[in-house]
Amino acid sequence: MSIAKYQLSSVQTSYGKTLGVAIDDLSLSSGGLYVLAGPNGSGKSTLLGILAFLNKPDRGTVSFDGVPITWTRKECALLRRRVTLLYQRPYLFSGSVASNVAFGPVARGDSKTMIQDIVRESLEKVGLSGFESRIARKLSGGESRRVALARALACKPEVLLLDEPVANVDRASATLFESLVVSLAAEGITLVISTHDDRLGARLGATVIYLEDGRLASPPEQLPSAVLPHRAEENHANS
Amino acid sequence: MSFIADSFRMAVALILSGDSDVTSAVVTSLSVALWSVLFASVAGVPFGVAVSLGKFPMKGAVRLVLNSLMAMPTVVIGLLVYSFLSRQGPLGSMGLLFTPRAIIIGQTILATPVIANYTLSAIQGADKRILPTARTLGASNVQSLFQLAREVRFGLVAAIIAGFGRVVSEVGVAMMLGGNIRMYTRTMTTAIALETSKGDFAFGLALGLILIIVALAVNLFLTVAQESLRA
Repeated sequence: MSIAKYQLSSVQTSYGKTLGVAIDDLSLSSGGLYVLAGPNGSGKSTLLGILAFLNKPDRGTVSFDGVPITWTRKECALLRRRVTLLYQRPYLFSGSVASNVAFGPVARGDSKTMIQDIVRESLEKVGLSGFESRIARKLSGGESRRVALARALACKPEVLLLDEPVANVDRASATLFESLVVSLAAEGITLVISTHDDRLGARLGATVIYLEDGRLASPPEQLPSAVLPHRAEENHANS
Repeated sequence: MSFIADSFRMAVALILSGDSDVTSAVVTSLSVALWSVLFASVAGVPFGVAVSLGKFPMKGAVRLVLNSLMAMPTVVIGLLVYSFLSRQGPLGSMGLLFTPRAIIIGQTILATPVIANYTLSAIQGADKRILPTARTLGASNVQSLFQLAREVRFGLVAAIIAGFGRVVSEVGVAMMLGGNIRMYTRTMTTAIALETSKGDFAFGLALGLILIIVALAVNLFLTVAQESLRA
């Protein structure tokens, strides 16, 4: 039996009296492709924050590769080198596209030659070859999203978490994104994508995890590929 | 009007003549101000970042104190430091009183809250996504903070400019802790105070004009440096 990439047990996070998420049991397998669906305020971003080791839940246990997380600063910093979250509205640092994409590898202390190769490859993957010297803040919205995706890919993550990646992007970028996701999943990267697009899960052949009011819920009928969330890992293993 | 015009002519003449008293006052003013701003930046920038990002009890009170310290009269700071550096004071044996180093200590205390407050404002005005973005890309906490500082560098340079403005124009600390000793601790501001008290208004005004020119030049340099960081 393979060890789950993530195992969440009795995890709960609240904002004052408002429930963020309350998840009794959720397993995500290594190399799985998951779509996190649900209405606004259902806790998708909160859950992504926990999976990205940015937000410690108020209670419950999160295990990564079978190891329970203690949420110390050092541990989280090390885990974030294996897991990357791409925000819905990504922030591009001031400077060039290349310096943005190189941020992760530089933080990891990679060599200059290696960084140049990683930057070139990452930009190539998102269809922005030759954009290295462009000023990041002067790009269009769709290009900015793609640079942010390239920056995330440059980190060579084991897990890539994408928060509403296709919201408000042009069709070309959305199509490129979907084909890229499929190829990344084929490379063995665990992908968790939050979305409002009810059909994204079906298009990607992903396992759909449905959240409602912060809790795992039975998905509505219009989500054809949806499964009961606590069976997500089993479903993935059988596919 | 002729009085002001005379002063201006005298200022130009003093600058061009390389008068040793004026040169010494300008050099002393600039050196103590720059050292003070350097030390105040080393203390004030991290302090401002810590107060801005930290979660601790009495944070509001700390901000209130910082704000109050910005308006602290220079003579009060001079008096406090004097009490420590005077012969009867706990640091009297170090013989720092009436030296440029004493002025630097006083002016560092003067500039630190200014720089800390401006830093705090710059950090609070920064995009809230900077730190989590850096962290999720695998940066350590220290690397994330450096990235944050890089993103708000204009605000940080503005903090340093404000700190410099505070110290280069003050007279209380320089007078009380430096003693206005000719060719040693006499700064432009203490020289102006002295000349004016002697009734030599024109000379005082001339020094004032030089002070404005020097302050303008330093600020111009810092502003150009600030602009060159824009990318």
